Amino acid sequence: MQTPLKFISTGNLRRLLEALGKDYQVYVPVKKGNQRFYKRYLEPCDDMAIAQVRPFEPLKAFFFSAREKVARGFEPEAPLRDNKPYCIVGVKACDLKGFKVQDYVFDDHDYQDPFYISKRKANLIISSDCSLALETCFCSALGLKPYPQADFDLNLSEVKKGFLVETGSHKGEGIIKENSSLFEEAEKELIAKRDENREQVAKEVEKNIKYNDIPDQKSFKDIIQKNYDSSIWKEEAKACVECGACNTVCPTCHCFLLYDQKDEDKMARLRIWDSCMIKDFARVAGGANPRHKLWMRLRNRFEKKFDFFPKVADIYACTGCGRCISACPAKIDIRRVLKALVANVK
Amino acid sequence: MSNNNPYRPIEAEVIEVITETPTIKTIRMRPKEEISFKTGQFIELSVPGVGEAPFTPSSKPKVKDMIEVTVMRVGKVTEKIHELKKGDIVGLRGPFGKGYPLDVFKDKEILVVGGGCGFAPLRSLMYSFFDLSGQFRKLFFRGGCKNPSEFLYRKEIESWQKRDDLNMALTVDKGGEGWKGNVGLVTTILGDIDMDYKEAIAVVCGPPIMMKFVTMKLLDMGFKEENIYLSMEKNMSCGIGKCGHCRIGTYYACKDGPVFTYAQIKSFQGIWD
Repeated sequence: MQTPLKFISTGNLRRLLEALGKDYQVYVPVKKGNQRFYKRYLEPCDDMAIAQVRPFEPLKAFFFSAREKVARGFEPEAPLRDNKPYCIVGVKACDLKGFKVQDYVFDDHDYQDPFYISKRKANLIISSDCSLALETCFCSALGLKPYPQADFDLNLSEVKKGFLVETGSHKGEGIIKENSSLFEEAEKELIAKRDENREQVAKEVEKNIKYNDIPDQKSFKDIIQKNYDSSIWKEEAKACVECGACNTVCPTCHCFLLYDQKDEDKMARLRIWDSCMIKDFARVAGGANPRHKLWMRLRNRFEKKFDFFPKVADIYACTGCGRCISACPAKIDIRRVLKALVANVK
Repeated sequence: MSNNNPYRPIEAEVIEVITETPTIKTIRMRPKEEISFKTGQFIELSVPGVGEAPFTPSSKPKVKDMIEVTVMRVGKVTEKIHELKKGDIVGLRGPFGKGYPLDVFKDKEILVVGGGCGFAPLRSLMYSFFDLSGQFRKLFFRGGCKNPSEFLYRKEIESWQKRDDLNMALTVDKGGEGWKGNVGLVTTILGDIDMDYKEAIAVVCGPPIMMKFVTMKLLDMGFKEENIYLSMEKNMSCGIGKCGHCRIGTYYACKDGPVFTYAQIKSFQGIWD
């Protein structure tokens, strides 16, 4: 998009979000304690945290629901909910990469998933630069920057008294046109300030990577195949409690369980998020289980992200968001595992 | 697929339940919308409100208004399937997967090796071969079961002995019940097959351990890895490569299989588990 950068003041951004509320369910990140969560934007709130860093919950939850009805009896129509589409504000670069994996699974594939696609197609993504990095952030090891470069409708970069606005799609361009009175031309000094901010956060991420000695994705080729029989898996799996938290918070994990239940007089088919760390994940009714040991399931999780997805979709299914590091009660640290895998290959 | 919701089952009526062995039943169903499958593709059969499970139909693909699956009672869903009676309503989804590449098999010599419950998909395949009789250079069938009472479709399969387009031999691991045929594992009746192993096609379906030993034997005999077709029994759930349960290496059994050549999957671990 060649549209010039715009500026929107904090007050006008609120007006914009209110205006978008007519057509969209608008969600913004808010800060509670040390964590950030998405919250429905209904009126101006003090805890809004549009810039900062990725929220606790992954973006996928809006489009691939944790629990969703996917069939009702033999009715031919997909039971899609007729809600307003989502407008998610403050989406970070790591979660935009998560979209690439989810889109591959649910859309750019032999079969389309009507539930994901209907929500995804109608959505409006107003992303944002990170204005800080957490200790667990390592996105640049996965080839990302802590600011969105593509795959958004509009992107916000926090500057003094407002945000610089970059247009990333025709949809985003339309939003600016429809609300043109809320936007101003971006001053050159602000653009320079934005670039300075970006560099500052990128440096923080680089510092994390250096401190934790995290390998770059360029060294990930074949790390799974070459470490298939390594003791790393058994070592790392020792502390795992099979809670599945790593799967739940991961922006790229997409596995689900289908189950049927009686819904009044009809059958209802539901799907819920599933976890490949749980013992019966791949078990068949006859009893065979290709991954009956916990360490095999841990290896499988890494194989899926660092071997399967690069081979089938040319993408490492990790965004460096660090959510699994903070979610794991056993302190299994993906940075440490990657480091060990790469070191073992060298 | 007759609708745009891949998770929605088509209504089907149970028209007959046939007890094959103490643990295996064949369910004959009439779908209310046409389900057209290629031999080797699978369907998801659901008992309303209970759940669904994957089965490869054992019936003739060219019959459009009736579909049969042969089901061993092993888990929650199959237990409910065994309780089904004529007139009950079930759900069907599919077909899924790639099926057997019959066009690749044409003008070739073909060996079909079945074990136990593996006879179910193979019966459908044999029907397809019989329909295309004359288009294959030779056709061999070698089948084995634990004991004579576990022999699926026994009368029907024994009647295939009369066919002059088929060379057939059967065996049981353990004799008895008036069994006059061979006793021993199915690998023991693969020795006397008159075919050009290097060019021939082998189709193997049965319990994982049986497929493993048959594959090793076939490779010893000189079959090429890319000519050995195996049925991978994995936890196929969504059927469309999204739920993640049935992944084998870079494939999903549900959309890329469940029939794979040994060459496709030999480098992946756990294929026999």
